[in-house]
Amino acid sequence: MDPVITGIGVVSSIGNGKVDFMNALVNGHSNFSIMSRSGRQFESNRDNDSQTKFIGAEIEEISASKNVNRSTLRTSSLSTQAALQALDEAWLESGLEDVCPKRIGLIVGGSNFQQREIYNIQRRFSGKHEFLRPTYAMNFMDSDLWGVCTQAYGIEGLAFSVGGASASGQLAVLQAIEALKGGIVDVCIAIGALMDLSAWECQAFRSLGAMGTSVYADTPGIAARPFDKNRDGFIYGESCAAIVIENSETLEQRSSVKKYASVLGSAMKVDANRDPNPSVEGEIEVIKQVLTQAGLTGENIDYVNPHGTGSGIGDSTELDALAACNLRSANLNTTKSLIGHGLTAAGTVELAAVLLQLDSGKLHPCLNMDDPLENNFNWVGDKQIETSAKKAINLSYGFCGINTAVCVEKY
Amino acid sequence: MNTQEIFQTICTHAREVIADLDTHEFQFDDALKDLGANSIDRSEIVMMTLESLELNIPLVEIVSAENIGELSELLSQKLQ
Repeated sequence: MDPVITGIGVVSSIGNGKVDFMNALVNGHSNFSIMSRSGRQFESNRDNDSQTKFIGAEIEEISASKNVNRSTLRTSSLSTQAALQALDEAWLESGLEDVCPKRIGLIVGGSNFQQREIYNIQRRFSGKHEFLRPTYAMNFMDSDLWGVCTQAYGIEGLAFSVGGASASGQLAVLQAIEALKGGIVDVCIAIGALMDLSAWECQAFRSLGAMGTSVYADTPGIAARPFDKNRDGFIYGESCAAIVIENSETLEQRSSVKKYASVLGSAMKVDANRDPNPSVEGEIEVIKQVLTQAGLTGENIDYVNPHGTGSGIGDSTELDALAACNLRSANLNTTKSLIGHGLTAAGTVELAAVLLQLDSGKLHPCLNMDDPLENNFNWVGDKQIETSAKKAINLSYGFCGINTAVCVEKY
Repeated sequence: MNTQEIFQTICTHAREVIADLDTHEFQFDDALKDLGANSIDRSEIVMMTLESLELNIPLVEIVSAENIGELSELLSQKLQ
């Protein structure tokens, strides 16, 4: 029996909570600007300053979780606070207070995701390191996120974080499914951690040619344009999601719980490659694996949420892989055009977007796809469409040649 | 900074670190441990206080303090 998804929580730059998030998606809202969160820009007095500003989408406000007191929040990073809010929403929706804590697991997608917090702390105590707060020893480690979350919600089954670059969020989903299949837990929550970039990582991503910002420096609203011929690299966006996945047999005891979808297939393939470049073979292989697991062909898939970041080679490679897997007829849109690239969060947040779209019967528009890289795909245009889609594939790829795919069917 | 001011500084930081001390009326013989501060919380409060006092001393020199009043006295002597 396939694992079942029963709960979703989302925090994003276009709305917190799945209702606001979904409304913003289908209405084509975005929130890109010159980023202003402390530590996101270098302090510079140079004349050409405007050319060095980083564009992205930042979350406006994160509400404090009721399960965490003020003193814990004081030492919780932005990534941890976002995770708490997403987890709270998903936890309540799935009614996990009725499940034995030892049968619940939490897997966090992402590594090194608190970079801006670390940068700010090191700047704050530069020249007076003797006063560095002792809690930095706990907080700088990514495990602090799941430590806070498991304490707040009393989770006792398992918890760890997994690093898979921009596929981390989906890797967490894959690992959650493995934990269920292995019988280690009955319920496993996957969280795609908010990747909190500092100015240093933004600078390096831009130097590498991965992050766009120079062409559209003065027009942030049109900078995120995956699969458009005039794309200029990925545009960063803060986001986080939590997804509750359950063993279908043990779920039967909680009959009132909403079932979003069954997971028909999940796959990972690595390319034996340390570099950022994609591989069409790797992408094709994970798509074929999930289709085989699901007992489907590409023509059976109604909707694909691709990885599509807006990078030069990544987008064109992905379309080649989709074409090779007979996915030209499936509806295709790009969540990153609306919320940016969440990096470690992307795979989980975009799976949340898939589930919410299947559930609502609406597919969100693509922003800024003025001149599609290829026209002979079934793109959702610049307006939302009604859909009866049931079977969907969600894809995530990342540096170091990681390819992941998940296939779900609306319940 | 006199002992009373140091005492107030410690109390301010204790309120930052420990939830639920907002309305607590601190006394000299209050022990941070009894107010719900675990060892990590106590080291945070001490470090925040040392920074406020711009006082760079090894923590081992103040571990003997049994309560906030004694800690204030000790820190006051170190500041001399």
